[in-house]
Amino acid sequence: MIRRMRFRTKIYCSIIALLLLFGVSLAVVISRIATRSLLEENKKRGAVSALNLAARVTEPMLGRDFLTMKNLVDELTRSSPDVSYGFVLDRAGVPLVHTFQGGFPVALAHANEVADDESFRVRLLTDGSSRFYDIAAPVLVSGDRLGTVRIGMSREKVSATLNELLGAILLTTALGVGIAALVGTGLARTVTRRVALLRRSAEEIIKGNLDVATAPRPAHMCWELMDCDRSECPAHGDERRRCWYLAGTLCPLCVEGEYAKKIESCRKCKVFQTNSGDELQDLAEYFDVMALALGDRMRALEAAEQRLGRQQQVFRTILEVTPDIVCLQDRESRYQAVSKAFCRFFGKQEEEILGRTDFDLFHSQAARKNREEDLLVMQEARPLQMEKRVTGAQEQRWFHVVKTPVFDEQRNVIGVLCNERDITDFKELQERIAESQKLESIGQLAAGIAHEINTPLGIILGYVQLMLEDFPEDSREHQDLRLMEKHCRVCRKIVADLLRFSRHTESIKEPLDLNEVLAQVLALVEHSFSLDRVLLERDFADSLPLVHGDREKLEQVFMNLLNNAYQAIGSNGRIRVTTDSGNGQVRVIIADDGPGIPPEIRGRIFDPFFTTKGIGQGTGLGLSVTFGIVKDHGGTIEVETLHESELEEARAATAGNGQKSTGATFICRFPIHSAAPPDDTAVPHPAQSNRVRDKSPQ
Amino acid sequence: MIEIALRKIGSKEIAAGVIALLLVVLGLGGCGPDEEATWVDMEKRVEISYGKSEHAITYAYLPQYAHRVSYQRHRLLVEYLRKKTGLPVRQIFPNTFDEHVKMVGQGQIDISFSNPFIYVKLARQFGAQAIARSVEKNGQKDFRGRIICRADNRHIRSIEDCRGKRWIAVDPSSAGGYLYPLGFFVDHGLGPNDFAEIAFAPGSAGKQEKVVLAVFFGRYDIGSIREGTLDVVADKIDRRLIRVLADTPWYPGWVYAVRRGLPPKTVARIRQALIDLDPDRPEDRRILEAANFQRIIPSDDSEFDAVRRLATRLKMDLNH
Repeated sequence: MIRRMRFRTKIYCSIIALLLLFGVSLAVVISRIATRSLLEENKKRGAVSALNLAARVTEPMLGRDFLTMKNLVDELTRSSPDVSYGFVLDRAGVPLVHTFQGGFPVALAHANEVADDESFRVRLLTDGSSRFYDIAAPVLVSGDRLGTVRIGMSREKVSATLNELLGAILLTTALGVGIAALVGTGLARTVTRRVALLRRSAEEIIKGNLDVATAPRPAHMCWELMDCDRSECPAHGDERRRCWYLAGTLCPLCVEGEYAKKIESCRKCKVFQTNSGDELQDLAEYFDVMALALGDRMRALEAAEQRLGRQQQVFRTILEVTPDIVCLQDRESRYQAVSKAFCRFFGKQEEEILGRTDFDLFHSQAARKNREEDLLVMQEARPLQMEKRVTGAQEQRWFHVVKTPVFDEQRNVIGVLCNERDITDFKELQERIAESQKLESIGQLAAGIAHEINTPLGIILGYVQLMLEDFPEDSREHQDLRLMEKHCRVCRKIVADLLRFSRHTESIKEPLDLNEVLAQVLALVEHSFSLDRVLLERDFADSLPLVHGDREKLEQVFMNLLNNAYQAIGSNGRIRVTTDSGNGQVRVIIADDGPGIPPEIRGRIFDPFFTTKGIGQGTGLGLSVTFGIVKDHGGTIEVETLHESELEEARAATAGNGQKSTGATFICRFPIHSAAPPDDTAVPHPAQSNRVRDKSPQ
Repeated sequence: MIEIALRKIGSKEIAAGVIALLLVVLGLGGCGPDEEATWVDMEKRVEISYGKSEHAITYAYLPQYAHRVSYQRHRLLVEYLRKKTGLPVRQIFPNTFDEHVKMVGQGQIDISFSNPFIYVKLARQFGAQAIARSVEKNGQKDFRGRIICRADNRHIRSIEDCRGKRWIAVDPSSAGGYLYPLGFFVDHGLGPNDFAEIAFAPGSAGKQEKVVLAVFFGRYDIGSIREGTLDVVADKIDRRLIRVLADTPWYPGWVYAVRRGLPPKTVARIRQALIDLDPDRPEDRRILEAANFQRIIPSDDSEFDAVRRLATRLKMDLNH
């Protein structure tokens, strides 16, 4: 309950309690001391009275002057209200005079015996109802004992006096308490009013209002006191803060620096001596200065927070957007930050990763290796680069890994930043290029061989044709020779293909109308295609720009593509041949409605010797030669295809928008004759070209 | 700092501390002086009756000094007489000269030690009989009066200067303190009417001392005392402030007398005992010194005629 009391009430209560305590203690102690001293005083007074009486009764005792003696004892009891009785005994202890009414109490005569060598003797006696100090003094003359005087001092009267004294002390204490309470109230009000002001200011600050004025405005401003007009001084014009709280003030007396540095010199300054106050004012001033400083700091903090937030957002975005696996690890290899790609690749949530080490997350072997790399980076304080295959949640992929040490302000390594870029596709491409180069070399070799056997093969064919004339057509020899001729022609075609592939044949280029070339080729194949109910549809542009090309080779290109389509369809299908032009190019599109090219072989259809046919049915050089010829003409070839296995998926994706069908579409682009042929180096390898998509299974 | 301490201590502790302090203070206060009182029966009471004192030979010293002084001086002598004579001698203390005289007349004083003026009165009025005289410490059998004034009184240089002055004497019955000085003044031409005032020391006993004190405090210009009084008051005043203006001629000293009717044998035993005191015997000397005597010598009534003559000259009535 006391804790909940208001401060002012506490001060009141404390003052009153202390005063009461003090007063009561004082009363008790004083009454105790007073009791003692009063009793002692009483005894002493009694003793003095007794001794005085003893001296004064000497003469009447000697003179047997009872009247004088009686007068003396009566006078004593009359003059002093404390004295209850008095009497004189002779040397035999017989009472001579006394002050008792109704006879002398005989027991009293010997109740307090005093020896000759004692000056007096005090004894506390009681008759049951009251107590009294009996003081006995011997009456001596030249050492001879004439008798004894006795007087009784009432103890009760002392008690009454004590009670009066105690009452007076208590009354005084009560008055003191009252006065002190009044004074204390005034004092407490002064203090608590200012404390309440502080409290209100504190409440304002808690509510968020830092603009408080707790300390009173100075009576005289420093610039008034110092007669200063330097408005560039931070204290000039600042009525809220005393100048000694401000750094960088420009008075000649001011010491540079913050409050702690300058306050000692400020104490001697006239401004300080005029405007400084008591401890409560100091407190209020500190409070205001703190509130203002707090406001400044909070604004700075808010700005810093915003900056930090933006930076954090940027950082987050980078980590989220980057396709690279990025992670920051501390010296113990605990993950401090990871990119979204990291989480995706390893199939874990960010929360599971942060604060953990590789040993917590990955296989121990991989973790150990990672840790060794981290340690190496931290030890050598140099970045580490490598390519490594990393096992993710679903697959293994190749990464180019860069581990960079992270330094603090003292250039101590405090962690490792790891950036891993996925290079799996690049790796595969590299492998394929190597493979293609290998195949190309083999092709060149084969072409060389073909060139060498072309001449003997021609001689063999010539002689076979001569021998055919020597044998009748129905003879066995004639038939055998015919068979030989047929196979020689096959061999010759293979050799011719090989030679074409290696471009060993001569090219005679001229301006050509591709519509015309196509028309001749279509005329050749249309009849044989129609036998298998494969229809040819023509969609030629009306006037097509000329291209610079070798008529024979281009006929072979279109023948190859039409044969491919025909073979893919087999029977009952259609092949659509379209030409158009634009962007300095002539385009020839040959589309079939066959089964399409399976996805797994699309990347390899232009490779030499790649074939889906059985042994002896194809050389696998058709599309490779085609590609070579188109490339030789500065053009490009690409394929768009939809295989049977993808049909369902494509239909679902379009959600019934248009009828999707299988098939392959080869698109050839040739530069028109007037345009300069493009640089060879600009022509991508079929595998690199985005436009070269596929090749139908032939 | 105090506030922090207070906060740490907490209100409960403060309250406990205050209560503890109160208890200590009240406990201390509660241990007031509480003495054991002895019970006395105050109910049983008797009236005092002074039974008739037993028969004794009473011995009284004319109360020229306080009873205490009388007692101190004659205590040993009385005791000596008791032992020496075998008589129950007891000292009594009349309060005034007149009372002394009356008590001798009434037979209440058997042995009177008085000045010669009182003696001649006692002899005249009651037939008292001188039996011995004291010899004072200075060896004088006789004694004299002395006239004193304040040492710084520049107006009184001679007896003649006393004319018109205020005079305090011991008692009209005093020899050294009034009679002898009056005779001295008369011999020097100053009668009782030549003084502004003649006063006598008030009260009963201790009159010699009162005269000295009255002059000392300037209440009176001159005082008359018997020789030796200044030694008695030496412990009360500074002697240097009192000037002795003149001493009277010598007259017979103090005298032991017995009342008429006391058996002669008793008188003889007493007289002999007094005379027997020998200052050469240490125990006797102690008694004599206490009484301020050198010794005690025999005497008879004729030795006091000079006093009778002086009284006659001064027209003193010895019958009163």
